[in-house]
Amino acid sequence: MAFIAAFIWCYILWLGLTAGSSGLLWSSEELIAGLVFSAVIAYTTKGLIGEKASRFLNPIKWFEFIVYSIGPLFWGMVKANFHVAWLVITGKIRPGIVRVPVDLENDAQYTILSNSITLTPGTLTIDACPEEKALYVHWIDIPEGLEKPESSEPVAGSFEKWARRLGR
Amino acid sequence: MTDDMGLIVKTMARTTIPLIGIFGAYVVSHGHLTPGGGFQGGATIAGAGILFLIAFGLKEMKKAYNKHLYSALEGIGGLVFLGAAMLGIGTAFFYNILWNNGPILNGEPGTLLSAGFLPIMNLAVGLKVFTGLVSAMAAIALYRRWKS
Repeated sequence: MAFIAAFIWCYILWLGLTAGSSGLLWSSEELIAGLVFSAVIAYTTKGLIGEKASRFLNPIKWFEFIVYSIGPLFWGMVKANFHVAWLVITGKIRPGIVRVPVDLENDAQYTILSNSITLTPGTLTIDACPEEKALYVHWIDIPEGLEKPESSEPVAGSFEKWARRLGR
Repeated sequence: MTDDMGLIVKTMARTTIPLIGIFGAYVVSHGHLTPGGGFQGGATIAGAGILFLIAFGLKEMKKAYNKHLYSALEGIGGLVFLGAAMLGIGTAFFYNILWNNGPILNGEPGTLLSAGFLPIMNLAVGLKVFTGLVSAMAAIALYRRWKS
């Protein structure tokens, strides 16, 4: 299954790279060459991508990823960019590193949540510690009384729920 | 003190190493159509190997890296290049016999299977550059210790 997951991931990327070789679609020789190269790359990286990566072959999960990236993530980035622009103009900041306890199980969930926090300006993930179930986040403007947050809600909004669902 | 990176870097490396690999294979195999070619694509794929070395650390690299295999593949890359150059030795060295009257690789210019022996040579050079650069980086990373 790890081979199939790596193969499909590689082949989709190949199709993206070679689109337009015959009209707007793909010529047959490109498709066959893609099969060969994807098989080679997938064979060499199947131990790396891991047995559990095949859960991302679920089309429902792809749909959720698309919804997440154009919905909550994009909207969060827009809001946070304007917020940081405001902070740059006014110059009133209160920076610090906070420990954010999170309730996640696997590596993919930690990665999705950490990258979402880093992509929204004003917060920057410094370290993810799965053994103590916490993220260390540098926050540019800590509101009063939130130096020790109880959950990830004040830092990341709804991102933790999405990360838990997407990485499952 | 571990020699690997944190969880986020490792998880991202798991997804990006196949991506870098397939992009490098694309650059190598389309060397006669688009910018790039054997060296550039091989160096791109070697970047994936170096990402593996840096993200997962030397201990994992020692398990994944086989000195004899990489040494043999580098030799095979050079030999395939030379073999393709020798194909048209009846006329001249490097005579592109596959393009002029070969059975394969003489398609319409601009398609993948054109340009005679150039795709074969690009693949050979890409293999040689990839294995050579990864071997060099692994050897440097394995160098005994900081002092003496």
